[in-house]
Amino acid sequence: MSSLKDDRSLTGRQYWRSLDQLTGTPEFEEWLHREFPQGASEWANAWSRRSFLTLMGASLALAGLSGCRRPEEKIVPYVQPPEDLVPGIPVTYATTMPWGTSAYGILVESHEGRPTKIEGNPLHPSTRGAANAAIQASILDFYDPDRSAAFVREGVNTDWGAFVTFWREQFLAFQAGGGRGLAVLAEPSSSPTIARLRRAFQQRFPNARWIAWAPVADERRQEALRIAFGRDLQPVFHYDRAKVILSLDSDFLLTEDEMVAATHGFAAGRRTTSEKDRMNRLYAVEGLLSVTGANADHRLRLRAREVGSFALALAAELARQGLPLEMLGGAKIPQLSGAAAQWLAPLAGDLLRARGESLVVVGRRQPSAVHALAAALNEALGNTGRTITYVDNPDVARSDSPGLAELVKGMASGEIQALVMLGGNPAYNAPADLEFRAALAKVPTTVHLSTHRDETSQAALWHLPRAHYLEAWGDARAVDGTLSLVQPLIEPLYGGKSDSEVLALLAGGDDARGYDLVRETWRGLIAGDFENGWRQTLHDGILPGQTAAAVAATVRPGEIAAAIKAHQWEVASADARGLEGIFHPCYTTGDGRQANNGWLQELPDPITKLAWDNVATLSPKTAEELGVKNEDLVRVAVNGRELTLPVWIVPGQADYCVGLALGYGREAAGRVASGVGFDTYRLRTAAAMHAAPGVSLTPTGRSYELATTQDHGSMEGRPIVLEATLDEYRRDPDFAARAAVVPAFMAESPKAQERELVREYPSSWQEPSYKDGHQWGMAIDLSACTGCNACTVACQAENNIPVVGKDQVRRGREMHWIRVDRYFEGDLEDPRVVHQPMPCQHCENAPCEQVCPVAATVHSAEGLNQMVYNRCIGTRYCSNNCPYKVRRFNFYHYTANYPETIRMQQNPEVTVRSRGVMEKCTYCIQRISRGKRQARLENRTLRDGEVVSACQQACPAEAIVFGDINNPESNVVRVKKSNRDYALLGEYNTQPRTTYLARIRNLNPEMPA
Amino acid sequence: MPLLLAAAAIVIGAAAVLGVWYYGSPRYTDVGYRPVQPVAYSHKLHAGDLGIDCRYCHTAVEQSRYATVPPTQTCMNCHKLILPESQKLLPVRESFATGRPIEWVRIHKMPDYAYFDHARHVQSGVGCFSCHGNVAQMEVVEQVQPLSMSWCLSCHRNPAPHLRPLDQITNMTWAPAPDHADWAERFMQEHHIRPSEDCWTCHR
Repeated sequence: MSSLKDDRSLTGRQYWRSLDQLTGTPEFEEWLHREFPQGASEWANAWSRRSFLTLMGASLALAGLSGCRRPEEKIVPYVQPPEDLVPGIPVTYATTMPWGTSAYGILVESHEGRPTKIEGNPLHPSTRGAANAAIQASILDFYDPDRSAAFVREGVNTDWGAFVTFWREQFLAFQAGGGRGLAVLAEPSSSPTIARLRRAFQQRFPNARWIAWAPVADERRQEALRIAFGRDLQPVFHYDRAKVILSLDSDFLLTEDEMVAATHGFAAGRRTTSEKDRMNRLYAVEGLLSVTGANADHRLRLRAREVGSFALALAAELARQGLPLEMLGGAKIPQLSGAAAQWLAPLAGDLLRARGESLVVVGRRQPSAVHALAAALNEALGNTGRTITYVDNPDVARSDSPGLAELVKGMASGEIQALVMLGGNPAYNAPADLEFRAALAKVPTTVHLSTHRDETSQAALWHLPRAHYLEAWGDARAVDGTLSLVQPLIEPLYGGKSDSEVLALLAGGDDARGYDLVRETWRGLIAGDFENGWRQTLHDGILPGQTAAAVAATVRPGEIAAAIKAHQWEVASADARGLEGIFHPCYTTGDGRQANNGWLQELPDPITKLAWDNVATLSPKTAEELGVKNEDLVRVAVNGRELTLPVWIVPGQADYCVGLALGYGREAAGRVASGVGFDTYRLRTAAAMHAAPGVSLTPTGRSYELATTQDHGSMEGRPIVLEATLDEYRRDPDFAARAAVVPAFMAESPKAQERELVREYPSSWQEPSYKDGHQWGMAIDLSACTGCNACTVACQAENNIPVVGKDQVRRGREMHWIRVDRYFEGDLEDPRVVHQPMPCQHCENAPCEQVCPVAATVHSAEGLNQMVYNRCIGTRYCSNNCPYKVRRFNFYHYTANYPETIRMQQNPEVTVRSRGVMEKCTYCIQRISRGKRQARLENRTLRDGEVVSACQQACPAEAIVFGDINNPESNVVRVKKSNRDYALLGEYNTQPRTTYLARIRNLNPEMPA
Repeated sequence: MPLLLAAAAIVIGAAAVLGVWYYGSPRYTDVGYRPVQPVAYSHKLHAGDLGIDCRYCHTAVEQSRYATVPPTQTCMNCHKLILPESQKLLPVRESFATGRPIEWVRIHKMPDYAYFDHARHVQSGVGCFSCHGNVAQMEVVEQVQPLSMSWCLSCHRNPAPHLRPLDQITNMTWAPAPDHADWAERFMQEHHIRPSEDCWTCHR
């Protein structure tokens, strides 16, 4: 295929977006050569366009005259205005998003009492002013019209008062037996108030059971730390201090907890200002291709169950090279083969050279023995106390799977008389072999507090609506011990109750307000004047000076040695008949908590680029052996449990394993998620929560349509992403500038005409001058970008970008203003991956502007490529002529049927677009405007850093820098001065204002190629 | 005869075009719009005769996009004591007692896709008078300017004649001095006033 040959940059790398492109299938060729996919741009209906227009013309003529009267519009002021509220000026509040045992400190923008946008709190250690897709999307969860608005008892609506009366009777009954037969199933949390109420509950009902559980949690790591240190400690990773990072099946850059801080630290250690800088180096050993693996300098494909053997062999190699590791004594060291064996010596050498500056992290899928081993390695390498510290977290309630199994046993045996579930959805996501639903039916009194009337709620006697964190009082402790408050921005939208309010009723029979409960807890936490401290905490979002000090922790070699000895270390044992199934939280919707969220459902997966579904991922080789291809429906069977779902081939996945994303196939999630995807929890058993051996996969002969965006916006063989190794960069610091201006495929072209094109031509246009005032520009550092998608969702939240649905995504009509392109490079089975965020480039010589017949897209004096919706007539010429494929067309009036609550989320500073108009990234013009008006009000000029685009604000890697390129002091100018800076398709003389910084990989020369 | 027909067609066509041009323009359709308000509030009495500053009621005009229509509370600040029994003020007292807002009829209406910002104009030396006319002499408020895009642009292209000192913004009777042009030039320089004609200044 010709385009594949052309897909080369100066460094000779070959990039491809999909298997179809690599093999040059007719489907891909067709996709490539049509501006819009089949059915997107032409009228394929049996009805002719002409007869449609005739009929429409007639109805227009009839309807036309009725619009002549001026509509009367009302202005409805307050009767008594709220204090400090100025209509038209948003107010920002600091609060916290609790996330399992983590807490994300955030700032929420509120327009006249409606929360509309979430940003990170710069003071909070877990966000540092940035965010991720889940945080950004949680504002949509809040407005979800499918959230429960009623207290329900056996299908009949009732109210909170009825439940209070009901529970007080139960309370008295259980008090007699000290709570015998009573159980609470909560979610993991780090809230001091929940912890206080839990202690009160346990004091009152000493015989009751209390279990916290979540389907995806760090249970094995915590178990390992208890083995290693003898107590429950919270690890805090300092990626910014690490020079050599080894990830053992850990997706710390996306699906593990604390990904925001991890990405922040990782990118900080990766960013280079010149070729002289040092960079960190990331080694990843993993089965599935994760975002972390995509960012690794060296990546080793191993099935999840083999990663542990690799870790142990590495430990032995480290010991051989002189690292004292007494816990290895007597352990049988697995013999590795192939690439894994070749990795050991150079990797061990690199770790030893970076003593005190290295870090070994293990993913939550790995058994506790591997985690314990990693803790020992980190200590032996001198990392403990430097790149990893441990703190005590007294208030944490951790997930406890054995406890859950015990509880379900008690439920099934009739021992449990009353079960109160605070959140969670165990009927859907508890391990399948526990048969939770059947056990639940045997408990006489079941209560479920939940945001939705979901699968568990429908099976429970009582359903109580749960308040979202944006409408309830609460508190949380970040992993490093920082205390923060959760404050409501609005009255509960659907009358929900918070966990602590329900818990107060359970523990003491009190119908207390969340506010009073939290304040009571905090009286013991705030030193000095309480009211002052309380107000300060509410204002800042964190309690100042309350970070927990790192505890001095030393591993216990004996216990670790015992754990290593007890563990069964496995080496390659899978083939095409008995695959290894790997369960993982979905890269966009997580474990299913946020399933009913259109933004996350439509967000393309960072690796597969699939939206709206989950799949069984296979490596190309495995798929070939099994005789399956993309979109084939296969029956996946594990221990007699079966599920039929479609296949997707992921280059870079380990052979003979199948990746199964969790969180789909919901029955009662709401209008967005119900019936979307396939319920992989049905295959997941208590014994194999993470990796299941012996999975069989049988083709059914049928296929299933999937929506993928991976070939959308292909740029056919042009040098799009540029990268070099650190050595290449040092040898040739200006590679980026040269490669982009004179692309290899043109300079070396056999055609004289193409070679000619490369020479500098004087422009035939009169180039406008952009010398005065603000001139906006952006720089995106591909070395820092991890491809986490936070920017896409942040942009969607800020700019009222509609959700279009699976069918529309299939037709290439997704509306994201900033997409993240994913390229593969190199070997089909083991490629490297590059992510590239792609917003409008704001070309100074914009090709779109030159073809618009109605001047609906024109240039501003500040260098912005403006899109004027009310002029646009929808010819789509601009999109045809855009070389970057960043323009989006409203084929339908996507927002017309938005429920009232979703409309409340929309940003009042941004027009909601209608059918028939083109739209695209505006560089957040509303934020530029806000910055300028503030400067006007204070009679000064804009300061650098005052205008922050939504994508830049959200980016945890700080890969996106935006600002005034006319201000020599500005950060964006400083970044653009880098020798890695290049303009995409610069040879077209489009003069894009967005430029990229070439990606640098830091390879270890001793590693096998 | 065909000539006559052609001439008639041209005349009728021209009349139709000019008719739509004139009668369809905001200058004809919107200027003079004077709806009946739920309360017969007189700007002439309050702002003119009594001399209450515009900003006593339109409090946000210096900070926000919206000048804001005052809450019922603002009326009651005075009318608790002044004319507490007046029939004309019955809707105000009712609103205050029941908590149901007064629904005023909007007069100056911008399209949804135009983001006009009061504060930016007021802080740049554009007086209330320039867009709203002499409200202090209006018994019933009406629209006096077309608020069309060409009208906006005429000032953005040549703002000097419409600027005034920042302490005279709400003064309805302020008149430019003979050396206004010189003063305006200095003022624009000092305050960095460079009104933009870019689309995204107002539409976004």
